[in-house]
Amino acid sequence: MSHIEADGVQPIIELRGVTKEFHGVAALRDVNFTLMPGEVHALLGENGAGKSTLTKIIAGVHSPTSGEVFFKGEKLAFSRPADALLNGIAMVFQETSLVQSLTVAQNIYLGKEGFLNRLRGIYIAAQQFLQSLNFNVDPTMQVSQLGAAQKQMVEIARAVHHKARVIIFDEPTATLTPEEKHHFFSLVRRLKADGVSIVFISHALEEALAISDRITVLRDGQHVVTDDVSAFNRDRIITYMVGRTLTEEIYQKGAREPRRYGKKVLSVQNLSMGKMVRNTSFSIYAGQITGLFGLIGSGRTETAKIVAGVAKRDFLHGGEIRFEDRSVRFRTPRPAVKSGIVYVTEDRKLEGFFETKSIAANIYSGLLGADLNKTPVVSYSEMMELSQVWTKRLNVRTIDGQAKVIELSGGNQQKVVVAKALAQRPKLIIFDEPTRGVDVGAIAEIHSAINDLADAGLAVVVISSYLPEIMNLADRILVTRLGRVVEEFGISEATEEKIMYAAVH
Amino acid sequence: MRGALRTFSDRLLGRGTAALTVPPLDGAWRPNNLLEDAPSGIAATVPDCLTLKEGRPVWAEGRRLKGADGEIETLPRTITAMASSSGGRFAIALDGAGITIDGQPQPALAQLSCVTALAFEDESTLWIAIGSTVNQTGEWARDLIELRRSGRLLRYDIGTGKPATIAERLAYPNGMVWTPDGMIVSEAWAVRLIRLAPSGKAVEIVADLPGYPAGLSQSASGGYWLTLFAPRSPLIELVLREASYRKAMMQEVDPVYWIAPALSSGQSFFEPMQGGALKQMGILKPWAPTRSYGLVVEFSGDFTPLRSFHSRAGGRRHGVTSVLEADGQLWVTSKGGGEIVRIALAEGAKS
Repeated sequence: MSHIEADGVQPIIELRGVTKEFHGVAALRDVNFTLMPGEVHALLGENGAGKSTLTKIIAGVHSPTSGEVFFKGEKLAFSRPADALLNGIAMVFQETSLVQSLTVAQNIYLGKEGFLNRLRGIYIAAQQFLQSLNFNVDPTMQVSQLGAAQKQMVEIARAVHHKARVIIFDEPTATLTPEEKHHFFSLVRRLKADGVSIVFISHALEEALAISDRITVLRDGQHVVTDDVSAFNRDRIITYMVGRTLTEEIYQKGAREPRRYGKKVLSVQNLSMGKMVRNTSFSIYAGQITGLFGLIGSGRTETAKIVAGVAKRDFLHGGEIRFEDRSVRFRTPRPAVKSGIVYVTEDRKLEGFFETKSIAANIYSGLLGADLNKTPVVSYSEMMELSQVWTKRLNVRTIDGQAKVIELSGGNQQKVVVAKALAQRPKLIIFDEPTRGVDVGAIAEIHSAINDLADAGLAVVVISSYLPEIMNLADRILVTRLGRVVEEFGISEATEEKIMYAAVH
Repeated sequence: MRGALRTFSDRLLGRGTAALTVPPLDGAWRPNNLLEDAPSGIAATVPDCLTLKEGRPVWAEGRRLKGADGEIETLPRTITAMASSSGGRFAIALDGAGITIDGQPQPALAQLSCVTALAFEDESTLWIAIGSTVNQTGEWARDLIELRRSGRLLRYDIGTGKPATIAERLAYPNGMVWTPDGMIVSEAWAVRLIRLAPSGKAVEIVADLPGYPAGLSQSASGGYWLTLFAPRSPLIELVLREASYRKAMMQEVDPVYWIAPALSSGQSFFEPMQGGALKQMGILKPWAPTRSYGLVVEFSGDFTPLRSFHSRAGGRRHGVTSVLEADGQLWVTSKGGGEIVRIALAEGAKS
């Protein structure tokens, strides 16, 4: 028992012997968990360890198959999230659950509307509230127009605004810049000082170590350890999480030989799209991994989306994209996919898959999009065969291809998105934040898959906000700032300081 | 009809061929100062046509044939191209005076002018590149501005003394190197490299180069060296699409000040310059738009670019027209900078 529990204070949340099963497979098995008032409790675990399931039980999204949940000492069974919210338990989801067609302010006030609402009043109040949190988001903006980081901020703001006594943050910092993370951690400390209890799920272990009072590690749906943060270090956590030390495996230290330039596959010349992409030019070569690094809002995702036909460049003088020495202009993703350009989105829930469809159907939909299906009509056997091949190749942990994607953990969902992309047999594949919200074990597997693609001669682009990831994967690094590529580094000369300097100055 | 409509809409919307874009210098083309910062070379007057003669590098300076030890020979006319074979044969093209092989004039080639490159296929076959059949050698900028495609490629059988035309309507063939699969030709105004078989069948090897290609030669590692004598720029691309402007420019402006690529630039404030900040705090930015540049690039055997040597905007060693690798050194003629530059390749690789 940790020191925090030993003080004799009643836990605000307590789970006793909780088990949750999906399709007969236990996502959680006999898990005990306590959350004390005013504590920050980090919940860590590998991909599919059951972290999200556990928090969803607390937040009333799922009901436990067996076991008991106590809230302030009383046995509770929330039938829906709104019940949990009424009891002061709010959850900030890993993939944002905002209403896309409403404005930021409307989302913050959603569920707390008065009988009569004055929009202007809501905007002013929301503006003040966001400023008090140091979140630079325009409350009048429609959520669909926000980037992933800003959506995350709104999601956090909404939870705080509901004056919850328990807030569950599921990967809150994955999309935030270092400065925004700093603001977020200040907010967490402030909430803690106000007596709010926080459950904090993150794959950035340093963050968990820095901000938590206690850490609980889950593995394969089972409780492994709970202790004060002082009892842990990074390697110890990883050992608990995966049973082996992965630090060296994922982020290799020391120099490595970069891959040589292959044929020039893509040449982006003077590409422009509004204020997001401004006259940017760069080339992508086969047989190597090009890292694209930039701060949020530097136009890297938008550039990738234009290349892949997801977004459109400026109508007049929008520049030129040459793919395999041919000038191309894709108006939709489908012709881009058919030509061999595939974009793996950073927002997998919204753009990556059909969450209520099965793994097999999702991967097969990629094949259909590229017109690579063997039969003119949808073939169930081809779908299942494809699913088997890719779930095995990418080690997607599931019972069978029939499992719905929504039931998978973040890391396995990402593997499905990657499988869907690879099934399209791309020549150029763009990974946008490929390991966002993915645990360390799955990161190693996804990195390995990306390296294999480059070794097989594909042109690979990796967009990432996480510098160690870029430094570990890329053979050359392009840095974007204010909508254009401003610097290029070979991996032998790149340092984190140089890259950040180029990205900021 | 469809093509015409497409051209019209492209011009209207600034797309396709009217996009006015140039490929970026990145990857293996990433700018550096390896050419500019190479040790002092040999001062020369408009040097060109580097080749080997009796195993030693030689080059042309106007009418004079020179080597590292000094002048070898003075010829009656300006030397426009030279080539040597592995067996020791030596061919020289003189401006308006045909071609001599091992000192022997070739009557069948006496009328040729604007010969821009020579290359031996074997000891008995010489390939001849004629940049333009309309303009003279020195009028290459006019040839570009007039959008000519009047270049020709001849294959000359030395034994029989008969030339055969291999290809016509080329956009200023400017350099050649023989490979087992055919002759690689740099087509300057088409900014590409093509491979031509003796049958005349052409295949594009490298397209959309970032500059105007010139000399080609073989590298010791089994690849190839290419020089680009001037960079492409959006301004020049724009002028090339504006017929009336080009016509007026050619009529009214001194050719030195045309908006066209140049072998050297920055000597006069009359020169055209692209709007925007060329200088910051009194210093010319290395990435400023420039009409001249120095660039040598090494390709692998399958024409994948491996590395490059640059003399950037504001540099001296511009207008690089020929290149030769010999004894672990890269010999480069900077026609615009008036210098033969030697780069120790081991150092270049390290950089």
